[in-house]
Amino acid sequence: MTIRFGLLGALALASISLLSLGAAVAQDEVTITIWSLDDANQPALNLAREFDELEPGIKVEYREIQFDDVVAESMRAFATGQAPDIIAVDNPEHALFAARGAFLDITDRVAASDVINPDNYFAGPLNSVSWDGKLFGVPKATNTIALYYNKDLYAKAGITEPPKTWDELVEVSRKLNDPANNVYGLAFSAKASEEGTFQFLPWAQMGGGGYDNINAPGAVKALEIWKTIMDEKLASPDTLTRGQWDSTGTFNSGNAAQVISGPWELNRMVEEAKFDWGVTLLPTETEGGARSSAMGDFNWAIFASSKHPDEAFKALEYFASQDDRLFPEFGQLPARSDIALPETGEPLKDAALQVFVEQLQYAQARGPHPEWPKISKAVQDAIQQALTGQQSPQAALDQAAATIKGILGT
Amino acid sequence: MTEKWTNRILLLVALALAALYLFPLYWMYVTSLKTGSEIFATPPGMVPTNPQWGVFAYVWELRGMGRFLWNSAIIASGTMALTAILGTGCAYVLARYRNIWIDVALFLVLMLQVLPASLMITPLFVGFSQFGLLNHPQLAVILAVTAKVMPFFVVLVRATFMSVPGELEEAALVDGNSRIGAFWFIVLPLARNGILVSAILIFMQAFGEFVYSKSIIQAVELQPASVGLNAFMGPNTTEWNNIMAYATIYVTPILAIFVILQRRIVSGLTSGALK
Amino acid sequence: MNRLLSGLRDGKGFDIVLVTVPLLFLFALSGLPLIYNVVMSFQEVDMFSLGTFARPWVGFNNYIAVFSQPETWPIMRNTLVFVVVSIAGQFAIGFGLALFFTLKFPGASYIRGLFLASWVMPGLVVGAIWNWILAGDFGVLNYILKSLGIISENIFWRSDTAWSLWGVVIANIWNGVAFNMILLAVGLAGIPRDLYEAAALDGATAWQRFWTITLPMMRSTIGAVISLGLIFTLQQFDLFAAITSGGPANSSNVAQYWAWEQSFRQYDFAKGSTISVVMIAVVLVASIIYVRSTRHEVRG
Repeated sequence: MTIRFGLLGALALASISLLSLGAAVAQDEVTITIWSLDDANQPALNLAREFDELEPGIKVEYREIQFDDVVAESMRAFATGQAPDIIAVDNPEHALFAARGAFLDITDRVAASDVINPDNYFAGPLNSVSWDGKLFGVPKATNTIALYYNKDLYAKAGITEPPKTWDELVEVSRKLNDPANNVYGLAFSAKASEEGTFQFLPWAQMGGGGYDNINAPGAVKALEIWKTIMDEKLASPDTLTRGQWDSTGTFNSGNAAQVISGPWELNRMVEEAKFDWGVTLLPTETEGGARSSAMGDFNWAIFASSKHPDEAFKALEYFASQDDRLFPEFGQLPARSDIALPETGEPLKDAALQVFVEQLQYAQARGPHPEWPKISKAVQDAIQQALTGQQSPQAALDQAAATIKGILGT
Repeated sequence: MTEKWTNRILLLVALALAALYLFPLYWMYVTSLKTGSEIFATPPGMVPTNPQWGVFAYVWELRGMGRFLWNSAIIASGTMALTAILGTGCAYVLARYRNIWIDVALFLVLMLQVLPASLMITPLFVGFSQFGLLNHPQLAVILAVTAKVMPFFVVLVRATFMSVPGELEEAALVDGNSRIGAFWFIVLPLARNGILVSAILIFMQAFGEFVYSKSIIQAVELQPASVGLNAFMGPNTTEWNNIMAYATIYVTPILAIFVILQRRIVSGLTSGALK
Repeated sequence: MNRLLSGLRDGKGFDIVLVTVPLLFLFALSGLPLIYNVVMSFQEVDMFSLGTFARPWVGFNNYIAVFSQPETWPIMRNTLVFVVVSIAGQFAIGFGLALFFTLKFPGASYIRGLFLASWVMPGLVVGAIWNWILAGDFGVLNYILKSLGIISENIFWRSDTAWSLWGVVIANIWNGVAFNMILLAVGLAGIPRDLYEAAALDGATAWQRFWTITLPMMRSTIGAVISLGLIFTLQQFDLFAAITSGGPANSSNVAQYWAWEQSFRQYDFAKGSTISVVMIAVVLVASIIYVRSTRHEVRG
C-alpha cells in the first residue's frame, strides 16, 4: 500500500516538474499586440506578419481599428489596463499621450539603435513624436498637401503657368470659374473638423502665424482670402461641410479646375480623371515668401504599460528598416529624407510625387501639444464663423487666439 | 367593375408613393455601380453611364462578407431571443395592472434607454472587462444590445397586450387555468402578431448595431457586417462605391425576407377571437 | 414557503418575477452606465480615470461651464426644433401611409413592407446617401426642385446656416416613417372591423369614424410610438455626422451630436456626460408625461 502511494507520489512529482519545465520553456515566447488602422493593402499588417515570422521568440497579434476610434479605444484600453504594446496614432494626437506619460520614452533606445536615426527624418514628423526634448515614438509615414490643377482647363482659359502667390491663385480661380458649365475655380476643405485646421494652418503659417499666433496679420489675410473665394463662389459653398476626399471627387469629375489636397488622391485620380493634370507647390503670401504645408499621417508609439518594451522596440526597428518599401509596395510616403522614391512608370503620378516630396521639406507638425484637439477646435470655429459671415476674419481669429492662449496657459 | 378600377388606381398610387420613398434606396444601388468620380459629377446622373457590375463580387470577396453576415445573424438572433424571453412577460404584467408600481416600472423601462450607444460604451466596456466578459465578445454584445432594445420591445408589446381583452383571461382563470396557463395558452397567442412584429424589428435593429460591436469585438473573425462596412473608410479615403455595394448585399436580402414576413403577420390579425 | 412557491405559478409571485428579472437585467446593463455618466458629469475626467468611479469631485463646475458657452442655447433650441418637427413629420406621414394601406387592394401588404427599407439600412449608409441627395452642386434634391421649377438656384442644404438643420430634418423624417408606419399599421389591424361596420350603418362619415373609433382605440399605440419616437430622435446621430457634422458654425448642431463631439473629438468626457445629463432630464419629463397619459388607456 505504502509503496504504491510512494510510487504514485514520485510519478506525480515527476510529471509536475516536467510540466513546469515545459511551461518555463514555453514562457520564452513573448506576445506583443499591435493596433493600427492599416488593412491588408497597407504596410502595418504586412510588416507585423513578417516580423512575427522573422523572430521565432516573438508572436505578434494585430488588430485593425478605425481611424475615428484610435484615440477613444486607446484611452478605454489604457484605463482598463488592456492597452496594446504598439499603436499607430495620428501625429497631432501623439502629444496627447506622450505628455501624460502614456507612451514610453524611447530616447535612449533610439540613441543606442543602429537602425533608427533621428537625423534621417523630416523635421515635421520628428517634431510630432517629440515632447519635452525626448522621443516618444517613431514616424510611420507622412503626407502633405499641394495644389492640383487641371491642365486642360488651364489651356482653355489661356493660363500658362500655375499661380505662385495667394493673389495669383484668386485671379486664376476667377478666370477658371464657369458656373454656366458647373465648374468651380477651386476646391478645398473648410470643414469643422481636423481637416479644416489641416488645410488652414499652412496658409496661416505662410503668413507668419501659427497655432500659437493664429491672429497674426498674415493669418488674418489668409482667412480673408478664403472668405473672398467663398463670397465670389469660386469654390462650392459645400466646402464648409465637405472633406478633402469628396472635394477632390469634384475635381476628378471635372467640376472644379483646381483642388488643394494630398498624395492619397493620386491613385484614384490616375484612374478617374479624364484630363491632363499637374501638381504645384502651395502658393505663398508673396513672391518668394516663406513656404509651409500641412503634415499628416501616423506615428508608431509604445505604450508605457507595455510588458515587453524591448520586443516592441525591436518591432519598431524592423518597421523603420523597411521604410524603403513603403512607397513602391504601398504607395505611402516615408517620413525619411534619406530615402529616394522610385519611379512608378505613371508619368503624371511621378511628376506629382516629385512636387510632394519637395513640399514635405516645408511641412510643419500640428502642435505638438497635448491639448491639440481643443486648439484645433478654436481654429475650426474661427474659420466657420468667418466664412459664414457671422464674424469678420479679424474678430474670429482674435477670439480663437484668446481661446488658444487660455489653453496654452501663456 | 368599379372596384377593379379603384384597386388599380390605388395600386398605382401605392407604387408611386413607394417609388418616391425608396428613391434613396435606388440611389444606393446606382451609386454602387458608378465609378468614383461619377458620384461627384454635376449634374447628377440618374443612371450610371458605365456600370461596374463586378463591384459586388469584388466586395464580397474582399471583406469576406459571408462570415460577417453570419456573425451579424448570430448577434441579431441572440438579441431577439433574449429580448423576447425577458421582455414579453414584463410587458404582459405592465399591461395587466395599473398602480403606482407599474407606473414606476414603466417609467424606469423608458428612462433606461435614453442614452445613445456611443455614451454607454465606455462604462459598459469597463464593466465587461472587470467581469471577463470581453473574452466572450459576441455574448457581451448580445447582452449590451438586448439592454438597449428591450425597452423598445416592452413598450410595443405592452401596447399589443393592451388590445387583448381582459375578459378572455378572466374567463380562462374561471375555467380553472393557473396564471401561467392563462398567460401561455390564451393571452400569448392573441398577442402573437404584435410580438412577432416587434421581434422582427428588434432583429433588424440588432443586425445593424455597430457601436458596441466595434469596441467590444476585437477579433475580425467575430465581427458583424456593420463593423465590416466601417472599414471602407480610411483616414483620408472613402471608397463610396464599395461601401454602397457592400450595403446593397447587406440590405437587399433582409429587406426581401421581411417584406414577405411582415405581410403575413400584420395582415393576419383577425378579430374573430372576440366573437 | 409553499405559498410563496405556489404564488410563483399562480398569483402575485408570478407577476413579480416576470417584471423584476428584466428590470434587474436592465438596471445592470443600462442603469449602471447611466449612473456612471451622471456621476462623471460632476467630476474631472481624463483618459487615465475612465476606468474608476474615484475622480476629483468638481460639483456643478461642468454644468456652469456648459451653460456659459455661447453655443449652448442655440444648440438646445436646434435640438427642440429637430425633435418636434421630426416627430410631427414622421408621425403624420407614417399614419397616413398606415391608413392608406388598410385599404384592401391587391399588393397592398407587399408594398407596405417596402417602406421598411429605411429601418434595415445601416445608419452610415442612410447618412451617406442623404449627404449626396442634399449636396448643393450635385445633389439630386436640388436637381429635382430645379427641374420642377420650384427653385431657381441651388439651395446649399448642407452648408447654408439657414437650411442645414432642415436638411437633416428631411432626412430624419424619411428615416422614421418606416418605424411609425409599421407600428401604427399593427395598431390599426388590431381594431375590429365590425366596429367600423356598425358605425357606418349608423350613418357616421369616414372622418367621424376616424375620430370616434380609430383614434381612441389606437391610444396606447400612438402613445408608444410618440414616446419611442422621441427617444430615437434624441439618439439620432449618424445623419448629423454624415450630412453636416453639426455645421456650419453650429447651425445644425444638436445636443446628442454635441455630446459625442465633446467626448470623442475633444476628449472632454466630463462635458460630454454633462450634456447627456441635460438630455436625460428632458427625456425624464417626457417619460413622466407618457406614463401619466397611459392612465387613460382602456384595456381591450
